[in-house]
Amino acid sequence: MDIVLRATFAFAFIVFLTRIAGRKELSSLEPIDLILLVVMGDLIQQGVTQSDYSVTGLVLAVGTFGVLQATTSWAAFRFGPFRKLVDGEPIVVMQDGKVLEANLRRERISLEDLAEEMRGQQLASFDDVAWAVLESNGKISFIPKTR
Amino acid sequence: MPDIPDTIVVRRHRDLVGRRHEIWVRRGLLALVGAVLALGLADVFGQSPTTDKAEADAATLKIVAPASIRGGLMYQCRFDVHANRELKKATLVLDKGWLQGLTINTIEPSPLGEGSRNGSLVLELGHIPAGDVYSLYIQYQVNPTTVGRRSQVAELADNGKTIFRIHRKLTVFP
Repeated sequence: MDIVLRATFAFAFIVFLTRIAGRKELSSLEPIDLILLVVMGDLIQQGVTQSDYSVTGLVLAVGTFGVLQATTSWAAFRFGPFRKLVDGEPIVVMQDGKVLEANLRRERISLEDLAEEMRGQQLASFDDVAWAVLESNGKISFIPKTR
Repeated sequence: MPDIPDTIVVRRHRDLVGRRHEIWVRRGLLALVGAVLALGLADVFGQSPTTDKAEADAATLKIVAPASIRGGLMYQCRFDVHANRELKKATLVLDKGWLQGLTINTIEPSPLGEGSRNGSLVLELGHIPAGDVYSLYIQYQVNPTTVGRRSQVAELADNGKTIFRIHRKLTVFP
């Protein structure tokens, strides 16, 4: 029972932390983010299973994560308010070539970050962008102007 | 104005109408996590030792042990018995709070004898000459499933006669 409760708490804490940390942190996967992912995984394991090396413990911990992930995903699909709570909503950061700086500031995204993302989608100039939307997964979608 | 992408609602997703508070909720929750970390730095979750002391004509007992610990941690408790006069047959009696859900890895120096009295652990320390200090170290590990707040009572006795008791609290965080 203990492992299931620990895994449930760990899952809820991870969802909570990723939700409040901001989307910029979600989208980037710099070397430091990769290292942090591995380190956090190890720290979570220690808190969940502690000194339990059994296969039963493994099944309980991984099973709990799997069931919670599937349940969260289903609830987000089924209930709109819950989806907004766990996934968030998109934010428009550019419209018709104009950068909406207040919205960028809110998500701690600099103009340089935006330009970098834009270049990644083969767009050279802000003027080429009709819409840029910061999605709930942290990625920025650019919709080019039609010529 | 270019066509609005499907499912994007300009008022909500661009002008953030009804979403202005979100950022403050997020910052508030982040500050809450920061506060928990600050509490950790302030040693609220253990495991720095605290000192409890009791004094009588016959002896002084000082217990140096953490008041807060966490599941799985290894830690040490030290019992310093200072004999103000000769103690012929000193015994240290530890109630269940010192034992339940905790693993004792070792006790150094080994007591002359061990026993049980009303569910408490009796450690026979033996003869302590006047002016001498007997230090007993107990190395613990917290069982991972142990959690909660409990009282701990340590009693020092000589020749079966209680000299004093020390009452303290121990908090075990999950």
